[in-house]
Amino acid sequence: MKIPKTLFFKTQFDADKQGHFGEFGGRYVPEMLIPALDELNAAYEEAKHDSVFIQQVLDLYKHYIGRPSALYFAERLTAKLGGAKIYLKNEGLNHTGAHKINHCVGQALLAQRMNKKRLIAETGAGQHGVATATVAAKFGFACTVHMGEVDMERQAPNVQLMKQLGAEVIPVKEGNRTLKDAVTSAIQDWMGDPEDAYYLLGSALGPHPYPTMVRDFQSIIGMEIAEQLQEREGVGVLPNYLVACVGGGSNAIGMFNAFLDVPEVQLIGVEAGGTDIYTPGQHATRLASTPQLGVVEGYKSYFLQDEHGNVEATHSISAGLDYAGIGPQHAYLHSVGRVRYESASDNEALNAVKTTSHLEGIIPALESAHAIAYVMRLAPTLVPDEIVVVNVSGRGDKDQHILKQYL
Amino acid sequence: MSRTIAEQLALVKQEQRLGFMTHVVIGHPSLEETRQRVEIMAAAGVDIIELQIPFSDPLADGPAIAQANHQAVANGVIIEDCFVLAKELSNTVDIPLQFIGYYNTVLNYGIEKFMADCVAAGIAGLTFPDMPIDEEQYEQFYYHAQQAGLPVVQLVSPATAPERLQLIAEHATDLVYCVARFGVTGATDELNTQLGEYLDRVRQYVTLPLAVGFGISTPQHIQALHGKADMAVIGSALLNVPINKLANTLQPLCAALSVPPTNTIQ
Repeated sequence: MKIPKTLFFKTQFDADKQGHFGEFGGRYVPEMLIPALDELNAAYEEAKHDSVFIQQVLDLYKHYIGRPSALYFAERLTAKLGGAKIYLKNEGLNHTGAHKINHCVGQALLAQRMNKKRLIAETGAGQHGVATATVAAKFGFACTVHMGEVDMERQAPNVQLMKQLGAEVIPVKEGNRTLKDAVTSAIQDWMGDPEDAYYLLGSALGPHPYPTMVRDFQSIIGMEIAEQLQEREGVGVLPNYLVACVGGGSNAIGMFNAFLDVPEVQLIGVEAGGTDIYTPGQHATRLASTPQLGVVEGYKSYFLQDEHGNVEATHSISAGLDYAGIGPQHAYLHSVGRVRYESASDNEALNAVKTTSHLEGIIPALESAHAIAYVMRLAPTLVPDEIVVVNVSGRGDKDQHILKQYL
Repeated sequence: MSRTIAEQLALVKQEQRLGFMTHVVIGHPSLEETRQRVEIMAAAGVDIIELQIPFSDPLADGPAIAQANHQAVANGVIIEDCFVLAKELSNTVDIPLQFIGYYNTVLNYGIEKFMADCVAAGIAGLTFPDMPIDEEQYEQFYYHAQQAGLPVVQLVSPATAPERLQLIAEHATDLVYCVARFGVTGATDELNTQLGEYLDRVRQYVTLPLAVGFGISTPQHIQALHGKADMAVIGSALLNVPINKLANTLQPLCAALSVPPTNTIQ
């Protein structure tokens, strides 16, 4: 089997030295950011070859995050759907309740190595903001989280958590006042303070080296799945399908990366279908509809945009998937056909939350519920000896105020 | 027909003064007012005007210019409007007009068509801050600009490393834009105190004229650039000056272009 055993492995789908995944990725940033990105890239390249750094990351995964996260056989869900065996990779059990903490721990260690004083982050739903505020507290960094005013209102409990952890939360008042505007605001904050600040980007997107680096820190998810599944199903057993939701794409790429070079494992990313995938502004399916190439926020990928190249508004019931762009490696994996991209609607996601809660006693985050919703369509078409692993990227505690309106 | 950037720079040199570049966001607050503002600027003695093509996600622009971009996009201003306005203005003003914008607009429009339409509209140069030379092998933006005879104004920042200054110098044409400080566009009270040192460093690699922008807003700022830079750039500080006050606001700024500083740098 070709499953990697150590962090920071290579695959045939990696970026070149300048961060290009095929025609996607790169570093389309103003000159003011180039020196800071060069510094970051050099520090990252050095760190990932340093056995001390690797050991520090692994120790924190285990003792701070609580890894490995469980791979759980969803017996009742499997029985109800009447097809393939369904396993849930439960990233919701991690400290802070989602996969985001994986790349926050890695990047905070890197920031420490670079002698930075302050962490800057953007956040949509607040999960990445909370995870960043958490590692900032742990490592003794000052922390500034940029968050759209609209998101601050709909995710008020997370704003409170960040403040409790000692972070400053900056309300972003520009544009649509959501995630995309928070990203711009965070990048600009970094542009003004490149010496002391570390920009802790929250997904596998943005300019090089972020898509690669965030992916690398998330790849532990897939590495664990490979090992845990063999413990459960026998040596050499591979999953037939891996399914993950895709906003920017960090949990999905973290799940897929260890299996990219294993062609017999089918990989499926699930985007947010919102209320209507045919109406602009009502969904966030960048790939499952008609992909449009663009350069926005420092990287080349597919973006939801109008015919003049202006970025369009998006909608999803899950704030974490409500984003117009997608990580460049996903765009590449789509273009070469290695990963298939599907979508699930708001209603399907709500139904998946309900079903998983009632049958398994696991309340998934609305984001992760999109992946489960797709599995609920897929599993009945498969035979019982096929294995589907779905990434429950986070737990649903944060969504209770949204869920109570629907369920 | 308006002059080229090189012709205008030669004129500035001949008059032994600083050059002056200003900025408008096309369609902010309206296309008609943009046209009038450009004409007022040209009449006041401005040397080059940046016409910004509005974009939904202006990464390098601070709140004032970002807000203007969002407003123009919301007004429905599209690239075709920019070409129409540029063509009209390049026939009525003598000074060079250049487009500034974000690369996604060009990518979406088609690079070759964009360059051809710029030439047809009388555009004198281009600045696209998120199209660094590193990506040229994938985009051929600079190549097509050069084929069309359009200079691309490159940016450098106080943190740009010597080897990168060298690289930029090799690709630069006509003028290099020196970002005066860290951060995004926006007016400030005080100039970067290390500006002189920074510009000296740039001059070790770049022989072209240097424009300085980001944070420049007053006649004193302009005076402080005498003997250091070749051109002052004012964007944000003029953006929200009401049109009936624009000429009066420009007058002392233009006067400062030929007045050497009375005291040393603040």
